[in-house]
Amino acid sequence: MSNAVTTSKDKLVALASIAAELYSVMGVAWGVSLAAKNAKVISVQAGDKGRGFQPITEFIDDISQQAMKGVNEINSAALQLSRIAVNEQRSVNAYHRFASVQRKNSDAQHLKSMAPAMKRVEKTMLASTKEFKRSLQQLSQLLEAMDECMLSARSIASVSRIVTSDSGVFRDKLKVVADELDKAAIYIKDKLSDSYQHLVNVNTSYK
Amino acid sequence: MKSTEIFDQRYKWFMFGRDPEKPESIIDTNQYMIVAGNRALLMDPGGIEVFAPMLGAILHHARVDEITDLFASHQDPDIISSLGLWDQALPHATLHAPWLWEGFLRHFGMNNIQYDAIPDQGSSIDLNGVTIEFIPAHYLHASGNFHVYDPQAKILMSGDVGAALEGDDSPLFVDNFFEHIPKMEMFHQRWMPSNRAKNDWIKRVRELDIEYMAPQHGRIFKGDDVKRFLDWFEELNVGVAISD
Repeated sequence: MSNAVTTSKDKLVALASIAAELYSVMGVAWGVSLAAKNAKVISVQAGDKGRGFQPITEFIDDISQQAMKGVNEINSAALQLSRIAVNEQRSVNAYHRFASVQRKNSDAQHLKSMAPAMKRVEKTMLASTKEFKRSLQQLSQLLEAMDECMLSARSIASVSRIVTSDSGVFRDKLKVVADELDKAAIYIKDKLSDSYQHLVNVNTSYK
Repeated sequence: MKSTEIFDQRYKWFMFGRDPEKPESIIDTNQYMIVAGNRALLMDPGGIEVFAPMLGAILHHARVDEITDLFASHQDPDIISSLGLWDQALPHATLHAPWLWEGFLRHFGMNNIQYDAIPDQGSSIDLNGVTIEFIPAHYLHASGNFHVYDPQAKILMSGDVGAALEGDDSPLFVDNFFEHIPKMEMFHQRWMPSNRAKNDWIKRVRELDIEYMAPQHGRIFKGDDVKRFLDWFEELNVGVAISD
């Protein structure tokens, strides 16, 4: 019993850690979105010299919106997994206590009447295990999609730097936006990497 | 877990408690069960820690599917923290408990069992022809609190009223009321918050015909000791943690 409980406990901690890692990502993505809006204003002020940067600001804004949406989806998936893990732990707990009743009361007249309850709780345990595996896979895919989104963000940041080199007096201001995007993408990628490691731990403890 | 039959006529009352395997650090509790034909009412079924020994003890007297009703006098963990486990063992049962605690009790995990919210004035159920009454005992000690009265068996399951703090191996019945007083005095003074609520309950209970008063901790009062308890309780000043 202790192994099962520890496993469930590990799962819950790992899933909570994913939510904690990604909490700060939301703020960073919001910051990038604001920077993109500022860049839009700057590139308009720059006139012809900022024209090349204008479509890039749209991309930056899109990326930040995608990041915020992705974090929300990942958090929902992690929360759903936590719920499944809690239900599974409850079933495991009940199963072991029911088993203890059966083991210690072999002389009880009505012991056999426990059988349906045992079957039910076994069924619940199996269903939770299946549901957990499915949701774990879904969470893994969301993290991968987010990681790809951040790779795109870094590419956009590189392109931005090249485009801003031709924007005269606005170059420095626009470069700051490109740098901020790159910095945010690196930060978010780091957090995703940590989250992925927590997910691997869940998967390992699950096996 | 020891089980003792305390009433046996057309139906039966059982008391469960004095569990020798109970972890030392948790308070000893008495659980009660009425078995009337193919229906059983389990009263204050206890905490998570006593679930397995309790269910094991029940299986000597009733089938799992015969436990159709549960009762929780109030929301305390030693009363009903096992609810999440009963919920998985008894998917078609009904829990009768104070309306006040429904949203709280559901935190223990209740996905299958039905909640019958007892209104403040109390209610009754029919258990295969046996009428069981839920008598108000608000503020004794919880703000929403009921006791169980069986007018036919003349038994009052009195929750924390009449409780005593003593060893797990103490006798089941009060044998000398006056010697028993020190074991319950502090409990009632500290756990019971209101003299007004106490006197209101005593007035109500004096009108009942009671042969056994069965608390959730300690020993059962029998015959004249029930009246002795009510007289003693009436004189006792409770809610003493607040200094004047």
